[in-house]
Amino acid sequence: MATLELDSITKTFQDGDEEIVAVDDVSMSIDDGEFLVVVGPSGCGKSTTLRMVAGLETITAGTLSIDDRVVNDVKSQDRDIAMVFQSYALYPHMSVRQNMSFGLEESTDLPDDEINRMVSETGEMLGISNLLDRKPSDLSGGQQQRVALGRAIVRDPEVFLMDEPLSNLDAKLRAEMRTELQRLQNDLGVTTVYVTHDQTEAMTMGDRIAILDGGELQQIATPLECYHEPSNQFVASFLGEPSMNFFDVTLEDDRLVGDEFEYPIDADVRADLGDASDLVLGIRPEAVELVDEAGDHEFETTVDVVEPMGDENTVYLHFDPDAAPEHASVLVATIDGFNRVSEGDTVTARIPEDAIHLFDRSTGEALHNRSMKDAADQVDL
Amino acid sequence: MLDFYRRLYRTIRPSSGDDEPRPNDGEVRADGGVVSDGPAADSPTEPDQGATARLKAALDRRFGSDFMESSIFWLPPFLLMGLFVYGAVIWNLLISLTDYERFENAPDYSNLDFEMYTRAFADSGFIDAAVNTLILLVLFTMGTLAVGLLLAILIDRGIRFENSFRTIYLLPMSLSFVVTAQFWLWIYNYNNGIANSVIGTFGLGPVSWLGNQDIVLYAIIFALMWQFSGYAMVVYLAGLRAIPREHYEAAKVDGASSLKMYWRVIIPQLKGATISAAVVLMVFGMKAFDFLYSLVGGYRPPNGADILATKMVREAYANLNWAYGSAIAIVLFAMALGVIGPYLVYEYRRDNL
Amino acid sequence: MSDEELRTDGGGATADTRWNLGGVTIEDAALYLVLAFAAVFYLVPIESGLVTSFKTGTAIIETAPFAPPGPSGFTFEKWQTAIDALLRGMGNSLLYAVPATVISAVVGSITAYGLTIPTWKKSYKAVVLMLIIAGIFIPYQAVLVPLTQFWSQWAQLDQLLSFVWALGISNDYAGIVELVITHVAYGIPICTLLFRTYYKTMSEEMIESARLDGATLRRVYRRIVLPLSGPMFAVVLIYQFTQIWNDLLFTLVLVSTESSPAAPVVLILAGLGTSLEGQDFALRMAGAFFAALPTLAVYIFFGEEFAEGVAA
Repeated sequence: MATLELDSITKTFQDGDEEIVAVDDVSMSIDDGEFLVVVGPSGCGKSTTLRMVAGLETITAGTLSIDDRVVNDVKSQDRDIAMVFQSYALYPHMSVRQNMSFGLEESTDLPDDEINRMVSETGEMLGISNLLDRKPSDLSGGQQQRVALGRAIVRDPEVFLMDEPLSNLDAKLRAEMRTELQRLQNDLGVTTVYVTHDQTEAMTMGDRIAILDGGELQQIATPLECYHEPSNQFVASFLGEPSMNFFDVTLEDDRLVGDEFEYPIDADVRADLGDASDLVLGIRPEAVELVDEAGDHEFETTVDVVEPMGDENTVYLHFDPDAAPEHASVLVATIDGFNRVSEGDTVTARIPEDAIHLFDRSTGEALHNRSMKDAADQVDL
Repeated sequence: MLDFYRRLYRTIRPSSGDDEPRPNDGEVRADGGVVSDGPAADSPTEPDQGATARLKAALDRRFGSDFMESSIFWLPPFLLMGLFVYGAVIWNLLISLTDYERFENAPDYSNLDFEMYTRAFADSGFIDAAVNTLILLVLFTMGTLAVGLLLAILIDRGIRFENSFRTIYLLPMSLSFVVTAQFWLWIYNYNNGIANSVIGTFGLGPVSWLGNQDIVLYAIIFALMWQFSGYAMVVYLAGLRAIPREHYEAAKVDGASSLKMYWRVIIPQLKGATISAAVVLMVFGMKAFDFLYSLVGGYRPPNGADILATKMVREAYANLNWAYGSAIAIVLFAMALGVIGPYLVYEYRRDNL
Repeated sequence: MSDEELRTDGGGATADTRWNLGGVTIEDAALYLVLAFAAVFYLVPIESGLVTSFKTGTAIIETAPFAPPGPSGFTFEKWQTAIDALLRGMGNSLLYAVPATVISAVVGSITAYGLTIPTWKKSYKAVVLMLIIAGIFIPYQAVLVPLTQFWSQWAQLDQLLSFVWALGISNDYAGIVELVITHVAYGIPICTLLFRTYYKTMSEEMIESARLDGATLRRVYRRIVLPLSGPMFAVVLIYQFTQIWNDLLFTLVLVSTESSPAAPVVLILAGLGTSLEGQDFALRMAGAFFAALPTLAVYIFFGEEFAEGVAA
């Protein structure tokens, strides 16, 4: 069991004469037994970060410590970590049993029968006891995945690293393995860093998630904090499906003036904004309500497209029915599946003030977020 | 020895990093190389690192994390090869500057000059051999590539028995020059050879293929093409297989005829295959010595077919003009370098090494 | 099957103009005719050599060079003579070709591993690789004189191995040892390159996984890379064997005379059937075939690997 500390970790690659910064000054500390999910779009540096922790990439600057021991110059094999790769990376010429014993044989002095016992135990835990004598090529994708996991677990390492381990599975199996992985991690209590581009995995699996973009750490917090209190516009747009609505607005007195609407704000919100005036107004689709009354925060809109999902409908609304489609601001709302609206209908949409987010337009930094407490109140269970 | 490592260490030590001052550097050297002594005494942060460990770490930082650990795999073979190839070439260059000949045991390196090179350029036999070498290289390479490409395109049209045809075309490549020389000697035989009976059916000949100075070189090029066009075919076939099917279909949809499609769409994409095959063929061409030697069973190839490769061996091993032979070898080496050098740069640029 | 059809249709524009003749189009027929003609071209020199090797002196003059000998002109005599003359050479050739092939393949595999799998700076690797690859293409003439000097003046195996000659083995066999070392040294570049192309395709994650599992580079080679190198070993062994067996230049320089008890088969063959009275073609052909038997056998049984080896 171990804590993992990344302090100002930076990685640059040399590409010809150009220097490419893959990971830029990333700091985070992972608690003993914590499940941290690192998430971001492709090319954001998340895999490079993980590979630096694994010792597969050198660290250009910054320090990496495991249990307060600096391991920058410690070779992979001496870091006591185990990694599960996207491709599983099983040794094709070895049986499942040999695959799983390999690490113990190479990194410990345990006698063969002890290794055998540990492999059998782990095999049982993962439900692959009947596969131990097969070769990887005889296994299905899901089975190979389990073997790859087993190979990591049996070594009982200080830290688990997982690089998109579920992305080669089909959707159903992926959902199953998601829960199983969580359960296993919980039972074993091993510090785990899990890299994925899938926001569902990020939201559901991690104790905390770290969101990376362009090599920089955007936010590290619990999934709900990241969702409801994003630190900037990138995090806000990255989490959530459909993604948050954004409108460019300018602050005039206590009103936000957009191209197609004006939105008054009260003093509490106004106080958060300081002297920034070029802003972005954000509202999550599920926070938008379709109502019958009129008011300051209610707007008359036209339904452009309805995407029925069954349990809910995703509705694309236009403020100005006559605006050319490429210029029109679109407000996306998710509403109850039984709430029937159809294209061309005129509806009134409410953007509740307690659910809005405001970002500085030039830096993207969040100036005002809905508070977690408000969000919790909104959930009607 | 230790001193050498220290200097090496100091030159490669990166300027940033753990450079604590090492006051007792001299002492350590003086006490006869107790490797773990110096740094261990005055660097409390890394108490268990000896000088060699630090050297290793410095080398690793300079060359990459696995440099030292991996050197045991590639360095000894690399040195053996380097000695036999580059060491020998340099040595050969040195010998070519001496007057080493006959039964002297070793060259006299005290008096070096370019006499052998001036002698070569004044020797009409050398000029002829050089010209023949160039003709052979150009014609042999181009002819072999053309035949190989044609065969590859034909075979790649999804024919039956593809494997059998391919096996037959490549068969001569598996044979030794010594063996194929016997076959072609028989084919080019004046009285009973196939070559003369074939052209005889057209009312031509008979021709003295190996006796006529103006023909013999081309007869030999033809024989070499027979042996190596299968190789060119295999290389082109691999190149063709790498072209996505869509390119054929796109050209088809665009209404290109077969001929046009190959000329405009497919062949340009075979540039890489052409270059690597051409380089290999030219090198084979330069090594045609074995074939010419076996044709006559001696160092003197048929008149009109002498090339640098045969002349070099003849001068050195039959006439015992060691230095002169070495000079010819250097010329041959320079020619080879002219072909390989650009090729390696090309491959390096394409990140193909 | 659909695969074949697509390719055959490569010349799409002409597809509608051709007509069927019992399932075979004219275009196809022409294609096979050309291919068959080419096959004849490649086989005739070999075939005529084969039939000639069974002919008597008169049959050679009386029958066409590619026609089989009649019953009266048929003889095994030439093969008998050729085998008598070459058998000793065959043994000698095997004596250096087999060890040199095996050693250079193993060394090539290890070298390629060290230059491919471990991570160190690409630009430094490229320099080493360039020097190695250039070594493949160097004309051997450029190293011959120093090689002779080296073996005759510097490393006199003749004397170093005197305890062997004391056992009654001709000291000409020093040449065989020299050939093994020489062929290994000059074989390293091509073997390295062949293995490297193979190792480059190995899953990087698999190697990384092994290193994370605690294996050192040596263990990764022993337990992961080497066991997976089987197919490439077949290719390299076959290619190297053919090259070494067929090479004349080094044997000529290092063993020198065909009358030596240690003379390899290529050396004897090069002078076989040449005498003052002219050339005995039947004997030459029989000798050529006999000398080519090992490489022919390798080629026929392992044609795929051979093709792969030359294409790399």
